[in-house]
Amino acid sequence: MPREKIANRQLYFMLFLIRCNVAVALLPVLTTADALQDAWISAIVQFFPALLLLLFFGSLGQRFVGLTVAQYSEKLLGRWAGKGVALVIAWAFLHMAAVEVRAYADMLITAFLPDTPLVFLIGAMVIASATAAHAGIEVIARAADLLFPVYLLMIISSLLIPLPQLQGFLVNLEPVLARGAGPVLRGAATPALFTVQYLVLTVLAPTVNEPKRALRTAIWALVGATVILIPVAVITVAILGPQLGTRAAFPFFSMVRVIAISEFFERIEALAVFAWGLGLFIELAVYLYCGGRALSQILGMPDYRPLILPMAVIWTAFGSHVTRNMFQLMDFFKPHFFVPYALALVVVPFGLLWMAYLLRRLLRGRSGAS
Amino acid sequence: MGKNRRTLTRGADEDISVLQAAAAREKLGKNLDANLKKIQEAAGFSYDISLRRFTAGDLPGALLFLDGLTERRSAEEIVRSLIVDSKRLKIPLERGRGLEIAREKLLTSDEIISVDNLADLFASISRGGTALLLDGSPGALICDTRSPKVREVSEPNNEIAIRGPRDGFVENLQVNTSLIRLRLPIPQLWIETMTLGRLSRTEVALLYIKGLARDKLVREVRSRLQQIDVDSILGTGYIEDFIKDNPYTPFPITFRTERPDKVTGALLEGRLAIMTGGSPFALIVPTELPMFLQAPDDYFEPLPVGAFIRVLRFAAMIISLILPGVYVGVVNFHPELLPTTLFLRIISYREGVPFPLVFEMLLLELIFELLREAGLRLPPAIGSAISIVGALILGDAAIRAGLVSPGVVIIVALTAIAGFTTPSFSLGIAFRLLRFTYTILGAIFGLFGVQFALLLTIIHLCSLRTVGMPYLSPLAPLILSDLKDSIITVWWWGMRTRPKLVGGREPLRQPSGQKPAAGQDPEEERS
Repeated sequence: MPREKIANRQLYFMLFLIRCNVAVALLPVLTTADALQDAWISAIVQFFPALLLLLFFGSLGQRFVGLTVAQYSEKLLGRWAGKGVALVIAWAFLHMAAVEVRAYADMLITAFLPDTPLVFLIGAMVIASATAAHAGIEVIARAADLLFPVYLLMIISSLLIPLPQLQGFLVNLEPVLARGAGPVLRGAATPALFTVQYLVLTVLAPTVNEPKRALRTAIWALVGATVILIPVAVITVAILGPQLGTRAAFPFFSMVRVIAISEFFERIEALAVFAWGLGLFIELAVYLYCGGRALSQILGMPDYRPLILPMAVIWTAFGSHVTRNMFQLMDFFKPHFFVPYALALVVVPFGLLWMAYLLRRLLRGRSGAS
Repeated sequence: MGKNRRTLTRGADEDISVLQAAAAREKLGKNLDANLKKIQEAAGFSYDISLRRFTAGDLPGALLFLDGLTERRSAEEIVRSLIVDSKRLKIPLERGRGLEIAREKLLTSDEIISVDNLADLFASISRGGTALLLDGSPGALICDTRSPKVREVSEPNNEIAIRGPRDGFVENLQVNTSLIRLRLPIPQLWIETMTLGRLSRTEVALLYIKGLARDKLVREVRSRLQQIDVDSILGTGYIEDFIKDNPYTPFPITFRTERPDKVTGALLEGRLAIMTGGSPFALIVPTELPMFLQAPDDYFEPLPVGAFIRVLRFAAMIISLILPGVYVGVVNFHPELLPTTLFLRIISYREGVPFPLVFEMLLLELIFELLREAGLRLPPAIGSAISIVGALILGDAAIRAGLVSPGVVIIVALTAIAGFTTPSFSLGIAFRLLRFTYTILGAIFGLFGVQFALLLTIIHLCSLRTVGMPYLSPLAPLILSDLKDSIITVWWWGMRTRPKLVGGREPLRQPSGQKPAAGQDPEEERS
């Protein structure tokens, strides 16, 4: 089987969609919980810890060009410990995938399809993404190429449409930083730690045309997504107001729903929901592909494809039961729970890996000197 | 060996494959009478084989040709040059070297080839050659006496251009390749031919521009063609199936056209064309989906017009795919997406319709498909009757009887019209097929179902390849420089590069900076 290659541009599109999508879907409510009217500042602040985190786990991969995390962790930590660490990393984004598909299905049920069983919606999304993952990363990347402009167009147009009415709502953003920096920082914690998603980079990097530039691509994707994210936060908080922004389950969609351009053209949230669906599809396909790839390497299988179907089935069940309802989901994202959880998923495995790596270099340096 | 020899002369009770193998093995000997007997028996004394015996000097000889395929009086010319000229010019035909001398010094035909077995002899005279056999010389000479008996080059019926060239391919390979050669008078236009089809012995030509088409691509296509082993090739459609990477897809994977200008354009982009004898269609590989949306007029109209039409066509393609599904989904599941008055209007018209909306939609779609298929095969004179019966009587009566609602009729009609804007019939039919799935999914899951179907379609399209090239390029993989001739078009001076994936060998098509500058004002010139 020829090795699949994707362009760095395609990696950028995929990572951008992954980050932007979760932000558009959930972000303002996560930040507003604490930061209220200053949520948009949180959206800016979160970029810096996110970048640090990305550098922390991304730069290790740059030292093992052509290897996935499952491969170099075995090199660094030995066979069993390496497999264990890789499993933790794979869990990190597979769990995220289940949470995100659940959130999407919950939103669809509340907003559009009240009578449809949850499992059908989750199942349909998983089937689509599993088909793509089975077809390979090249196909996913091409789909990302195709969908990225569509996605961007929809998000930007749903941001532009409320602009003319924004003037009157800007009071909602005041007073700025009235309660000090504390709530803003706390509001930034969850979105910053959403960088856990970017752990897929550690699996994807070797498939890129220029693997040495993979980390740089990821950083630019983070920047690009933040650029979209800030206006999303500003406009959502301004239009909904900090109080409603806290309570609404899916603030961005609520915001778009409030907007009415004219008598005839008043329900444009379908655009935003469609964009979410497209983005989620790419996201899930990437997660599933990376999870399958990592698992196949952990299990020592030559090809990941046989794993996709069982994974998809497990995932559908998991997605249906990962949380009991939307409020539990929201609780999961509260900083006091999500931050330690995500930190543990990133810092523990990669701390171990870094330590092993540095120790090894130190030892080799000493043996080379002697 | 001995057994086969017997089977050939005894004839009819052996199977075709045995007979064919025997014919290919059967050499033409020195004895004229034996040779003629062999040939006649092998052909079962078919009436169209004409035999003209003569004696040149004292050497007996014979001409064999097929009635109707050769030019009139061509046999006469050959006989004259062998008998009269040989005597006048004092070039006697020696026994044993007769064919050699005739070929070198006497015959005046354009093209002469020699054959030594029965199968080749038949293949040659079936293409309009005349076979010359002389007593004492082994083998036979084939003189080219073809009469160009082909349909006139005329405008293709299915691909109409308003401002483009008017010629289209015919059923003759030589005429078709000459139409391309006329447009590309360079030696680098290479035409490879091969004979495919064990019984039909069809000539298949592979055209490309040497040095522009990628060698790897040429090798790949050539080897796929050479692997074909069938008994007949009656059209390019046969070959299409053998080139496909994915046999299950409903999408047309190779581009079929009757227009020489399209083929030439494709060759200039570094693509390959495949033509077969007996078929007015050329295949272009590799193919990309946007090619199916290009019509010749886009390039001949002023650019804003052409670009607008291209975008319109692209939008129409998507509408023809999703509209019925979206309508069913919105009316069933998301009435809040429609303005209240519009929704009430739709609902009030549906009052009393006995079917569920999706059934109504599928029914009308099906009826439309039936009408289209019925109209397609009928001569134009009766075809109009179908449209009257279909549109006026069926449609009108169904609404009056309250069996279907006008909304659904409008949607189906709109979808049909949008579908017909696709210049390629084969792409349109693929979308039409998928539309049923969209409608059903839209009825089950609403817009989410349409989105689901759309995602599956996208995955499928993204995974398709023709001879190794991605089908959706330049959209996916996104190649910005190639977008200039996909959803949009640009001016010809802007078409600076060839498509990156197929023409990447010589990416620059023309130098930049050819945008015409505004001419000098004559008034200023005077001063």
